[in-house]
Amino acid sequence: MKKKLYIIPLFLTLFSFVVIYLSLQLETSPEMIVGDSMQARSFPIFLMVINLMLVGILSLQFYKTYPKEVELEKFPTWSSMLLFLIFYILVKVSGDMFVAIPIVMFLMGLTWGQKKVWISLVNAIATPLSVFLLFDYVLQVRFPRGWLTNIYYG
Amino acid sequence: MIEALSAMGSVFTDPYLLALIFATTVLGVIIGVLPGLGATTGAALLLPFTLTMEPVQAIAVLSTIYVSATFAGSITAILINTPGTSAAAATTFDGYPLAQKGEAGRALGIAVVSSTVGGVFSVIVLCIAAPLLARVAYEFRPPEYFALTIFGLSMLASISAGGAVKNLIGGIFGVWLSTIGAERVTAIERFMFGNYDLYEGLSFVPVFIGLFAISELLVQSKMVNKIVETVALKAVKLPTKEDYKRIWKTILRSCGIGTFIGVLPAEGATVASMIGYSEAKRWSKNKEEFGKGSVEGIAGAEAANNAATGGAMVPTMVLGIPGSGTTAIILVGLMVHGLRPGAYLFTEQVEKVYQIFGSMLLANLMFMAMGLYAARLFARVSLVPISILWPIVFALSVIGAYALSQSLIDVWIALIFGVIGFFARRHGFAVAPIAVGLILGEMVETNLQHSLKMYDGQWWMIFAQPLAAFFLILAFLGLCGPYLYSLIIRHKD
Repeated sequence: MKKKLYIIPLFLTLFSFVVIYLSLQLETSPEMIVGDSMQARSFPIFLMVINLMLVGILSLQFYKTYPKEVELEKFPTWSSMLLFLIFYILVKVSGDMFVAIPIVMFLMGLTWGQKKVWISLVNAIATPLSVFLLFDYVLQVRFPRGWLTNIYYG
Repeated sequence: MIEALSAMGSVFTDPYLLALIFATTVLGVIIGVLPGLGATTGAALLLPFTLTMEPVQAIAVLSTIYVSATFAGSITAILINTPGTSAAAATTFDGYPLAQKGEAGRALGIAVVSSTVGGVFSVIVLCIAAPLLARVAYEFRPPEYFALTIFGLSMLASISAGGAVKNLIGGIFGVWLSTIGAERVTAIERFMFGNYDLYEGLSFVPVFIGLFAISELLVQSKMVNKIVETVALKAVKLPTKEDYKRIWKTILRSCGIGTFIGVLPAEGATVASMIGYSEAKRWSKNKEEFGKGSVEGIAGAEAANNAATGGAMVPTMVLGIPGSGTTAIILVGLMVHGLRPGAYLFTEQVEKVYQIFGSMLLANLMFMAMGLYAARLFARVSLVPISILWPIVFALSVIGAYALSQSLIDVWIALIFGVIGFFARRHGFAVAPIAVGLILGEMVETNLQHSLKMYDGQWWMIFAQPLAAFFLILAFLGLCGPYLYSLIIRHKD
């Protein structure tokens, strides 16, 4: 279990090397444009070198004092992330945020322990509707056209 | 001076602004009492709603949320032992024990008065210090700005949440995020992976909504089924003469501490309240009462955290360096509304600046009235089931993320950064350093590029500039000072 905590420095190291690798793939600009300044790749590489040094210190800290172990997430957390994915799919399929938002809100309410289905349902319908009207009338924000918004916008 | 005062005064006579600040104070107090929401999340969620407002109104809304939510965190800290905001964490140490003794009204009264005095004091300091600092900042050139941003980033090490190294890693990650998109001098595309929506770089608003609001949603999902015990509150009582005698020195000390800590780049109300509390304990004649319901403990923490709000606005407005997560959002608000933070703001748009200060002053007075007369009502809001509250936050987050650029990519960015922020927090990395790093990133790179051009690529010339060298030494001391100090202490022992 404890070994799992080394995943953090490992992940950060890997991330730094990936960024350095990607930076090295960037084009270089001609001398007359860059002049005495830096190439576009230099700054991210510089950042990642500092990051690697900090990760080294972090690993040393982990070696000296083990950090508190992290509890695994419970159902509502994973289900919420899954609902984000469902939200993405629904928006892609319907093209409409206002189809996806009520469905996700309704399911989120239930997965977070709301036992009265009608409360979740009212919340899921009333909130997006009022926010939509506020943005449409007051802030004049146009939302992407989809199943429902097509009916509204005509 | 007269112009400045009349600009500040105009806030008090503008009915629209008065109504707006009143409504926002109510909203800010509600946001503050809802555990998990807090000033930063509230400001992130409200930023899209300010898009069509005039710049002064928009910043007034954001700064009102900042001061009122920072105060309101104390209501739940005292009544249900759950700080509504992290800045009110120190208030629980003595607020809740005092409430358990049946003196919830007295505890809240002391919190209200201390917060108001702290807030008003810091606005006065803001009005005096900001123009003076702006005069100094007027002389800054790229090397000085580069050194200043490095100092700002180094101060991330001492943000309360997370460890110093973790905060710096977060800051570096934020700075790296600012490199996504086309590089400003050469237009070379960096880390875009062919997605031209990212050509201009990551938009601050969806990233902040993700980091602060959506990640908080995921954090709160762990709190499902948590049972909350409340303490009965009859009425909020103003402190008695005896209370004032005991707390006035503590309040004054915490005002100074809070404002000073707020002014330091990247420090905020949470650090201020902790130091305000510990200093109150250190100087108190009744140390044994601390942790058991000390009125000085409540006053020390509350005066300091609200004093930090005005202080944090100083570097935000004068130097463009946010003093906390919430001021990072206010800074984005300034940019979105075409107000360029920095010394020029104080010469070109001085009237707007003082109207913003005036609105902060007004907000401090309004939350005092609300705290005294409606705390009982607001405390009930904290009992809204999370299964209702957080789906609403989800809806506001995704709609808010979309609203600024009216682009769905921003919605996906908000969700992705929500998950990133959650996992970062799960492993002890605070998200505020990422936000501050993202804001400062562009300043660091651009000013470094300009400095190199100024000195024909001789980077060491930056150290030869007195002010730049001063900031870099401060940054070095900020990073290594605590370590060197502990080495010296160990050596002495």
